[in-house]
Amino acid sequence: MGHFIARRTVASAISLAFLVIAVFFLSRLTGDPTDLYLPLDASQEVRDNFRELNGLNEPILLQFAGYLGDMARLDFGTSLRSAEPALAVVLQAFQWTLVLALVTMVFVTVAAVILGSLAAFNVGGPLDRVATFFSLIGASAPDFWIAIVAIVIFSVGFGWLPTSGTGSIWHWILPVSVLFIRPFGLILQVVRGSMINALGSAYVKTARAKGVAPRPIIFTHALRNAMLPVVTVMGDQAAGMLNGAVVVETIFGFPGVGKLMIDSILQRDFAVILAAIMVTAVAIFVMNLLIDLAYALLDPRIRY
Amino acid sequence: MTIASRSKPVTRHLLCCAAIGIGLSAGAVQAQDDRAITIALNEELDLIDPCMAAQSNIGRVILQNISETLTELNPADGSLSPRLATEWQEGENGTWTFKLREGVTFSDGTDFTAADVVHSINRTTSDQLICETGAKYFGGLDITAEAVDDHTVAITADPAQPILPLLMSTLTIVPEETPMGEYTRDPIGTGPYVLSEWNVGQNLILDRRDDYWGETPEVTRATYVFRSDDAVRAAMVQTGEADIAPLISEIDATNEATDFSYPNSETTYLRIDTMTAPLDDLRVRKALNLAVDREAFLGTLLPADTELATQIVVPTTAGTNDALTPPAYDPDQARQLLEEARADGVPVDTEIVLVGRTGLFANVTEVMEALTQMFEDVGFNIDLQMMDVAQWTEYYSKPFPDDGKPRIVAAMHDNNRGDPVFSMYFKYACGGLQSGTCDQDLDAMIASATAATGEERNELWSQTFQKVQEELVADVLLFHMVGFSRVAERLDFRPSIATNSELELAEIKFD
Amino acid sequence: MTHESPPNTAATRNVSASAEDAPMLVRYGRMLVADKTALVAAVFLAVMILCAILGPMLLGDLATRQNLRGRNAPPFDLSRGWAFVLGGDQLGRPLLARIIVASRNTLMVAAGAVAASFVVGTGLGLVAGYSRGRMSQIIPRLADVIMSFPSLLLAVIVLFMLEPAVGNIILVLAITRIPVYLRTARAEVLEIRERMFVQAALVMGASSRRIVLRHILPVVLPTLLTIATLDFAFVMLAESSLSFLGIGIQPPEITWGLMVSQGRPYLTSAWWLSFWPGLAIILTTLSLNLLSNWLRVALDPQQNWRLETRRSSDA
Repeated sequence: MGHFIARRTVASAISLAFLVIAVFFLSRLTGDPTDLYLPLDASQEVRDNFRELNGLNEPILLQFAGYLGDMARLDFGTSLRSAEPALAVVLQAFQWTLVLALVTMVFVTVAAVILGSLAAFNVGGPLDRVATFFSLIGASAPDFWIAIVAIVIFSVGFGWLPTSGTGSIWHWILPVSVLFIRPFGLILQVVRGSMINALGSAYVKTARAKGVAPRPIIFTHALRNAMLPVVTVMGDQAAGMLNGAVVVETIFGFPGVGKLMIDSILQRDFAVILAAIMVTAVAIFVMNLLIDLAYALLDPRIRY
Repeated sequence: MTIASRSKPVTRHLLCCAAIGIGLSAGAVQAQDDRAITIALNEELDLIDPCMAAQSNIGRVILQNISETLTELNPADGSLSPRLATEWQEGENGTWTFKLREGVTFSDGTDFTAADVVHSINRTTSDQLICETGAKYFGGLDITAEAVDDHTVAITADPAQPILPLLMSTLTIVPEETPMGEYTRDPIGTGPYVLSEWNVGQNLILDRRDDYWGETPEVTRATYVFRSDDAVRAAMVQTGEADIAPLISEIDATNEATDFSYPNSETTYLRIDTMTAPLDDLRVRKALNLAVDREAFLGTLLPADTELATQIVVPTTAGTNDALTPPAYDPDQARQLLEEARADGVPVDTEIVLVGRTGLFANVTEVMEALTQMFEDVGFNIDLQMMDVAQWTEYYSKPFPDDGKPRIVAAMHDNNRGDPVFSMYFKYACGGLQSGTCDQDLDAMIASATAATGEERNELWSQTFQKVQEELVADVLLFHMVGFSRVAERLDFRPSIATNSELELAEIKFD
Repeated sequence: MTHESPPNTAATRNVSASAEDAPMLVRYGRMLVADKTALVAAVFLAVMILCAILGPMLLGDLATRQNLRGRNAPPFDLSRGWAFVLGGDQLGRPLLARIIVASRNTLMVAAGAVAASFVVGTGLGLVAGYSRGRMSQIIPRLADVIMSFPSLLLAVIVLFMLEPAVGNIILVLAITRIPVYLRTARAEVLEIRERMFVQAALVMGASSRRIVLRHILPVVLPTLLTIATLDFAFVMLAESSLSFLGIGIQPPEITWGLMVSQGRPYLTSAWWLSFWPGLAIILTTLSLNLLSNWLRVALDPQQNWRLETRRSSDA
């Protein structure tokens, strides 16, 4: 196990280095930020000065060397937009994203696993039909519909919840609920599918024949076996959230990393793009490592 | 005082709020003080340095609230009133002398003197820092300021600026101690409010000062929050979570008691690349203008009180030409002009690229699609391309792509400073960065109007506008746009043409 | 659309006794008729595909003709003609005709992106899971890198240098969706390769290629198909958010996603603008998913009795 983690850490570090190099050079192919930061009427003199002050007129390899040098001193550059250290800007936003993703994923996992298993246990039954129908609609409906309609109903209509923003626990209810819907639908479907397979397998049939009660069958025998794809898809959904829940952040005014990333990309704020990718990449790498460890826990036969 | 404190860790936030939050009705987000207001803005501030106040999202928070200027423009009639300067006079060789108000203090307690003005001018125009105000209004000018005595300052511009006092209405005054080479996140000013909290990503709070030199405003505290979704900002005022949403969408402006329209000083137009065939032909450019049914947009894709534009600046600007009328909608004549041009060998069937920009204004995509159809109806061959701002800028500003394709670029110009000088050179002169035209006579006219003063200046600008529209047909002028604000009923406040660039808290009263 | 020969052949080899003599197509036809929801789904998809093929040809002009003075016409009003039965859009164009015309771009982008990411992701995942060598280390790290690379940045890079053409949008969306198939396939293979029947095949000297394609892939496929069907909706909506930011497909081209996002500001005043194209996305996804659920049962020799007996009891 220790050996596995050590080897994996080295491999991930190499991936991260590769990612940083790729993003550094590729993002600079998307154009010079100068025009985006200056008034349209700015003179050539001001433009040159902007490039000079922000090190944009140096050869790109020299810029990269400088970036590496700074990184060695834990300096991840300065945001063009806010003139703040890029890493601080990113971490500030990332903490919100992290909490939002964790809270949502906990609810999603519990709800999807329970309902998905129950649906699979009685394929074609009323619960299965209702759960499948609504989860599919939820998973394919445009998320801003749900967000705006929720605000219209619960904030404007009933006045139960604040429309947006942060500050109290109430502010989290709508964003988490909206963010919940798509992964819930997808994971419920995956749980249901894998459970149907697992329940059809020889050993569950044996357990049933022996007269073991339905519930233990689901939750001990079948579920454990059906969890491999579920854990994987959960990882994919969580990764999506760690990259930022853009619609939720935009509509509910949640200061997460998704909107930061989009604004930075559209504004060519290279230092922030890089810092954001590094932070989310580390989170995603760690998560994928945990998922791989979870495979081995779920099924001891799995070896790497 | 801690400014710009990064917010508390979210987890602690969640826990503590979970504890107090229970039992509290969520809708009842009440202010402790009924003279405190909340303002919902559409974009987060990246910087809050006073020298960036020419950027509208920063200006709306800072201008005349935290930082003040020497003079103040009244956008309704273009007149200038005193603010930190009490009077000013033109001297020899482009030098202006400003008398400064006495008894004014900054929010850090220091006195306001001529040295602060000198420092502010130097800082704004310095090459150690990119200041929006400097880049936008003082480019190409050599400005020197000198303290004559504690309360008199002499400012010289080279080349001489007849509108120097107007320029000073854009320049925010900071104390002498403000660092030169970096943006401050702790703006100190002479205004009636002081920045007391900045929780990045969440809100920004201004509190009223007790020792302000002028009249004490009614609003005690203003909390700015940032929501990029139009519908959410409107909903916030409706639920009482916010008191003012300065920008909402026309579609959401459905309540007469709270929703007000105002001219936002933006003018939309299509810049024609007059150097490339077939757009180099005057008849083709006239045909473009005749093909657009401008009236059809009003009350449909654009608000009903949008005005048709006859010049690139709003009608309240000095020197606008009232005699100009919007081009008539006459598709038959447009077709005829195109036929004449074709007969003369002009390649009128060449594909013309119409460059639009997403997010330029509400419904921009639909407006561009409608324009495309109008042009195609009279026989143009149009390829509409909607782009994001980065790509669009490559086509809008020089150097233009050198691929020989004829282009028309949709753009929106905001001149809220009351004088055409901030528009005409950039948009129409041979050397103008966004100019698609080049005419020696026009260049001379712009130069002489820029140097003139008083009535003569107005007359010269007026002639320039006429030349651009009637003789050169350098663009397809479209509309003077309007914006919408939603204001809670407890407030007595009406948005105006100034609301786009500043939101003076002192003007907000309570019913 | 994505299920190719391996699962079919695997299933036909195990035809259950009751219908052994019927030709394969007829048999599947009967099983489809037996499942009414799947039948409806199949018919809906067939209609959509027809729309995609014929729509732009037949309705192209009707769908683009604007009428500024008759915008946002409400639905269910036949006085303007059948095309306006779902209402008119913000430029006075008939929504029904636009949805039909837009189906071509939409389905092309969605099917292209999902199929490409499905094939590439599954292929890489099978290799990564089955191999015990270097590939089992390198390929998952590749997935990590793609997962961490923001799709918007990829879109900006590709589309800044190339045109925002349909093919390039497909490329961008396909790349970003590869990891989920890759990681799911790999995870399942890690477990399946340890199962008895795989070990048995190994002992009997089957080639790796044969084991992966004949024995492992059919077991992995159902889960991947479930993900793929829901990815259809995801890709359609992701495409629209790229357009919204000015980077994806732009008007005058149309897609359902673009219609949904252009109708967004009208959500509270003219709901039909974004509702109908959104419904088209939902129904397409729903149909695909129901059909894939049916397919899973129909292809599974242990379960397809459900469909067969229901048919015989109906008869």
